[in-house]
Amino acid sequence: MIPEAGTHLPEEQRQMMRRATKLEWISIGYAACTITAVALVVGNSQAMRTAWIDDMLSVLPQVAFLLSGVYVRRLRRPTHPYGYHRTMSAGHLVAGVALLSVGGVLVYEAVSALVKLEHPTIGTMNVFGHTIWQGWLMIAVMAFFAVPAVILGRLKIKAAKPLHNKLLYADASMAKADWQTNVASIVGVGGIGFGLWWLDSVAALVISAGIIQDGWKNTRSATVDLLDRRATSYDGKDPHPLIPRMEAQLKSFGWIEDCGIRARELGQVMHVEAFIVPISGDVIMTQIQEVKAALEDTDWKAYDVVVTPVLELPDFFSQPREVTN
Amino acid sequence: MSHTHSRRRVTALIGLSLIVVLAGCSQAIPVDPEGTLNSVRNGTLRIGLSPNDSLVEIKGSSYQGSEVELVKDFAQSLGAKPEFIVGGEESLVKKLEEDQVDLVVGGISSKTPWSKMVGMTRPYTQVIDEKGKKEKLVLLVPPGENAFLGELEYFLDQTQEMP
Repeated sequence: MIPEAGTHLPEEQRQMMRRATKLEWISIGYAACTITAVALVVGNSQAMRTAWIDDMLSVLPQVAFLLSGVYVRRLRRPTHPYGYHRTMSAGHLVAGVALLSVGGVLVYEAVSALVKLEHPTIGTMNVFGHTIWQGWLMIAVMAFFAVPAVILGRLKIKAAKPLHNKLLYADASMAKADWQTNVASIVGVGGIGFGLWWLDSVAALVISAGIIQDGWKNTRSATVDLLDRRATSYDGKDPHPLIPRMEAQLKSFGWIEDCGIRARELGQVMHVEAFIVPISGDVIMTQIQEVKAALEDTDWKAYDVVVTPVLELPDFFSQPREVTN
Repeated sequence: MSHTHSRRRVTALIGLSLIVVLAGCSQAIPVDPEGTLNSVRNGTLRIGLSPNDSLVEIKGSSYQGSEVELVKDFAQSLGAKPEFIVGGEESLVKKLEEDQVDLVVGGISSKTPWSKMVGMTRPYTQVIDEKGKKEKLVLLVPPGENAFLGELEYFLDQTQEMP
């Protein structure tokens, strides 16, 4: 039977998906706490402001994941014959472009503060009758919120790998690297403390460069998938290991002379087309059915499998298929 | 892979050592990039006065009003001789930016647009303006002179009743 969209995940992956969803909700809650806490102390430091915006942006991929999580479960229908799996990629693209553009604005702000020789002013706060330099509070908040984000990131990476979910993987790697933002803003505020006013803008520049880098990676990876590039693994391994495995599977059929797999990604799963050249130049229906079943058995990601018998493989298969990186 | 790891380790190390160093000399922090507090202490405090009703009154060569008294007390707390420069807000703000005055007073509200150009203290008191609206008053300081600002806010915390 052709597996229906929405029921395509095996039990293990379904559990993983629920876990990932829970982790993303926790991440959003955590981000809300960070954003509120930083808002109380943000002040005039460009590095702190940049880190604050970075915290807000970190929610984007999480929202994209949760939103598209609702859509990918939808059943396919005549108007959407491939299902709704690609909402993951669309969400991924939107998050990437947002990161890229906001990162650009932040780089501009940091550079213009440097050029204008702006000296950031950070005053004191009255905490229970004590006059305390606000910079200390900024450093304390940033140090406090650095660790949990890394832990969340690690947990999410563990869920992203078996799910073959690039959006989740990108979100998790960003969370894992989030502590660097906190360290940079601590360095910036510390610099102000020592009278090194420029260190603040430099730290802001480092943080915003990181945002741009994340934005570029996400935009690129999402765009490439939407352009129907050959399927790759979550960490960019090309081709996806499943492709050579499926080709080996095809070769194990004695009656197949030559074969090629064309696979593209539909979010977490793949749309697989198998081209086979039969030795005798002739096939019967049961043979096609066997091939299709064998391919679908290789992995849950081999989701939408189409088998096409041909007299000759399409041109592009004649070029070397492996990429040496 | 090992390259990024070692780079991360270096970043972490720099961050950690900075925290330790910062904690070690918390009394001396923040520092003024232009050294305002040091040059004012036991020296001269150059105060910009922008005339404002009962807060800053200019009568010939005598200056009166609650804010004038306030800054005189502040100068005294630093062992500094007050020197007054009278002018409009805009010209005084420019003088703050160019390090020609150390402090500007004159009924400046906490919503002042000048805060984009120069530093300001936390509000130290609250008044009712002509329209009957509550307004919080601040003092303006040179941008980024955080030790001086901290000293002034400490003085305000000790002497004023914050709204």
